[in-house]
Amino acid sequence: MKIELESHRNENGSATLMIKGEIDMNSSTRVRARLTDLFQSDQNMIVVDLSGVSYIDSSGIATLVEGLQWSHNSKKIFRLTGLTPMVRDVFEIARLLTVFEVYDSKEEALKEA
Amino acid sequence: MTERVKLTIPSDPKYLCLCRKVLQHLLAGHDVSEDITQRLILCVDEACSNIIKYGYDGCPDFPIEIAFSLADDRFEVQIRDYGKQCNPSQFKSRPLDKIEPGGLGTFFINEIMDEVHYCTDREKGTLLTMCKHLVKNECFPAQNKSRGSHEN
Repeated sequence: MKIELESHRNENGSATLMIKGEIDMNSSTRVRARLTDLFQSDQNMIVVDLSGVSYIDSSGIATLVEGLQWSHNSKKIFRLTGLTPMVRDVFEIARLLTVFEVYDSKEEALKEA
Repeated sequence: MTERVKLTIPSDPKYLCLCRKVLQHLLAGHDVSEDITQRLILCVDEACSNIIKYGYDGCPDFPIEIAFSLADDRFEVQIRDYGKQCNPSQFKSRPLDKIEPGGLGTFFINEIMDEVHYCTDREKGTLLTMCKHLVKNECFPAQNKSRGSHEN
């Protein structure tokens, strides 16, 4: 199963990472590498769009938790949007839904904090 | 009637998706709701990931044998590996009040499955048996209701 990662740098200093496919032990390293690049860039806000993600496991969740920790350390804003029912359910089981800034739409997520 | 499916995958993460597809196909033929299907797939996937990571230390060429058994009201999966044996009593889930990466796979398995049994009473490896009692048309309530989350 392939995973597609597409990142865009927006004019307002934010960056969007669109993920399509299944995030598992095999693909989460690629997601982590792309997030690392984004956190090392000069973008002040990173929005991860999960609307194309049909499956996520604990390694995918761990990658996003790492992103959250990097955002705290770097004072960058880190937001999630487009959680599919499967992804939302996994976040709920892990009691992590309230820990992240989760938005229904990418447009809302990209608004300034 | 009980339907049984067996498969063996190499201990390479790129084959985890095969196991997920087989289980999805099996459950789809038995009126198992989509949300329960996804949770069962998650548990099997996490168990296989743990074997790759801890049992086989990331070596991709060892076998993982998976046997699914599905009756009307009961799903059972046995997962056999021939890797390093771990002491099941030392498997720890991450405390949920600690927000940190890792440690969630075992938590998902224990949270979702009704029975989880690790048998290391053999020369090599471990036999993990996990069961879930199925209720017709059951959905997890959280899937379909609005949640009291910190959404903006």
